[in-house]
Amino acid sequence: MSGGTSGGRPPGLAQLAAARLWAATRFPYLASGVFGAAVIPSPGSGTVSVDESWRMRADPELTADWTAAQLGSVLIHHVCHLLRSHGERAQAVTTGPEEARAWIRAADAEINDDLVPAGLDLPGQPILPEHLGASDGLLAEQYFDHVRVREASGRRSGSWLDCGSGADGVPRPGDGPGGLPGWQADLLKRQVAQDVMSYARQAGTVPAGLLRWAEQTLHPKVDWRRLLAAELRRAVAQVAGAVDFSYQRPSRRSAVAGDVVLPALRRPVPEVAVVCDTSGSMNDELLAMVLAEVEGLLRALGLARQVRVLACDTAVAPAQRVTSAKQVQLIGGGGTNMGAGIAAAVALRPRPAVTVVLTDGYTPWPVEAPKGTRVVVGLLGAQAPDAPKWARAVRVDPELPGDGVR
Amino acid sequence: MASSQPNPAAEALGVAVAARVPVLLWGAPGTGKTSAIRAMAAAMGLPCETVIASIREPSDFAGLPIVVGGEVRFAPPTWARRLAEAGHGLLFLDELSTAPPAVQAALLRVVLERAVGDLTLPDEVAVVAAANPPEQAADGWDLSAPLANRLCHLNWHTDPRAVADGLAGGWAAPVVPALPDGWQAEELLSRGLVAAFLHVRPALACAPPTDAAAAGQGWPSPRTWEMAARLMAAAGAAGSGDEARSALIRGAVGEGAGVEFLAWLVEMDLPDPEQVLADPASFRLPERGDRAYAALAAIAAAVAGNPTQERWTAGWRVLGRSADAAPDVAAVAARVLARCRPDGAALPAEINLFAPVLRDAGLLQAQGGMGGRVAPP
Repeated sequence: MSGGTSGGRPPGLAQLAAARLWAATRFPYLASGVFGAAVIPSPGSGTVSVDESWRMRADPELTADWTAAQLGSVLIHHVCHLLRSHGERAQAVTTGPEEARAWIRAADAEINDDLVPAGLDLPGQPILPEHLGASDGLLAEQYFDHVRVREASGRRSGSWLDCGSGADGVPRPGDGPGGLPGWQADLLKRQVAQDVMSYARQAGTVPAGLLRWAEQTLHPKVDWRRLLAAELRRAVAQVAGAVDFSYQRPSRRSAVAGDVVLPALRRPVPEVAVVCDTSGSMNDELLAMVLAEVEGLLRALGLARQVRVLACDTAVAPAQRVTSAKQVQLIGGGGTNMGAGIAAAVALRPRPAVTVVLTDGYTPWPVEAPKGTRVVVGLLGAQAPDAPKWARAVRVDPELPGDGVR
Repeated sequence: MASSQPNPAAEALGVAVAARVPVLLWGAPGTGKTSAIRAMAAAMGLPCETVIASIREPSDFAGLPIVVGGEVRFAPPTWARRLAEAGHGLLFLDELSTAPPAVQAALLRVVLERAVGDLTLPDEVAVVAAANPPEQAADGWDLSAPLANRLCHLNWHTDPRAVADGLAGGWAAPVVPALPDGWQAEELLSRGLVAAFLHVRPALACAPPTDAAAAGQGWPSPRTWEMAARLMAAAGAAGSGDEARSALIRGAVGEGAGVEFLAWLVEMDLPDPEQVLADPASFRLPERGDRAYAALAAIAAAVAGNPTQERWTAGWRVLGRSADAAPDVAAVAARVLARCRPDGAALPAEINLFAPVLRDAGLLQAQGGMGGRVAPP
């Protein structure tokens, strides 16, 4: 029961108040989370577990010999399972209770890798990345691969408490309705993330993994594929959506209108040109990946046949009309001038309505927007300098996992 | 129509229809958005006109120009006429995100003002729309920002258990709650709350989306805040759950602004530290542990900001009142107070309440904590 509602200490968890006080003092930035979780004594369960509604169940017999610091550390550990949405993430990668057990080890490693060095005093033998044969600072999904590889070869990866459905998403008896509703849990998570950020700004040291989590929670990075898709759709929509009224053919409504001759609606299908930076500084593998992505997006818009690809360093290779990213020959390799590439794209006939530029950003740009074409820039690499203001830019960061939570 | 698990999205949909706020359901194809809306209309006995926006032309919504006696009128199509004659009903715009941009532009007046050509639909007509996220519909467009701003966006999740129940025992229709007469009076209250919030966060009064992916979702603007206030009042009058209310607010003003507003509302429930310090006896400890922590931490910080003798003693009195129910939470605040003891202040009796828990946590020796600083020499 939470400190507020208990009206005293639950029987058998004598050191609970001291444990929470220890946790809130040692990890002040997690205090809201520690006090927000309800702790319920659960004799005979043989573990301390947590569910996704922020309820923890502790077996008093198990915790009887623990110090306040040890119980406090387990509370912190479980709060981190909830903060990092381990239950939800488990459902994307595991396929049943057997794998769920392996997932808990991986999730434990994600929490412990920076909190144990920061002073978490867990009882027994907590799982650390070294027990899984992995290095520190990985995502639970990555640790999970290590656990599976080890288990396939018959090696154990250690065992610790059964952390409950809050860690692996598999419902346990007694989980049922009640506890903290989802939207309040989300607000609580945000509160903790804000605490972590402000503590890091004012007072100093917060474990790096936790700080990354807080940043991602407060300022989620959107997958570049989604952004690129939206920018392309928008550029094409604005061009294609410039619906022209034409009297070349009568409107199908003419019969209704009687005297009035109505125009029909015409929709031009836009031409698209892709300008690829092939200078020496480019990462060819990344360029190929993004080019394939662009091609897929255009195909989804029904424009695949209209695509022309220009390879460009300081000079521009002739346009190649391609139907698949595999056919593109990237010629070049010297310095960079995307201005030349864009000028060449505008000079193409028919003129492309949308020009996609894929570059690492280390290039001079034209001062003004080119006339008659919309420019979408894909900036490859996390360190790429900004694109000019007149272009719509999408940063492509290969390091960013698709839906990473960490 | 057996209603099984309460589905917050369905509950929110019912409230939005009852409040006559245009609502848009986002969900993958085949997840039962269309059937849920039709079932809702059938259960309510409302006429439901389905219009698939993607196969329509702009003139289907802006009205067909016809010449009558030398001037051009904009004639409404028959679906609009039928709704106007019935006087009430549901206008269901299906496949909204596959409508080309020109058609979306024509829809602007239909959605917000219920105007179709020269005909204005009665106030009792509710506008409901459904759409697939652009990345899931092959020929999808992002919703234009002005159209997105006129709708309350709800995510239509499919709960596997609800699917199993539905297949076995028929689908539960979302229920449109009957709002009690005079529920609009509550709207004044929720408008006041929104206004107070916007005084604190003026930047959120109007924040058009900057990137293309966010443009098709809800975003904060004066219109959507008004919508949020209306929905909040309707949700309160309908007695719907917190989850549905939260979905409605986030759907109207967007995820970011909505979450901030909800967090601010929760914050509002906390007691004002200055009032508590003026009258410690009035203090009631919030039930939930993290709320209790937030309240006591705010009071301790208020004392530390201006530690006069009187405020310091009042602070201890508050902690003393909380020590029994939440010794750990109060002890965290006690450590803050102990560090800012004003000169000449007498030791409060409450201090002894916290010694056992501090000792158990190993904080008395390690920190020198309160023992070292406040214990009499």
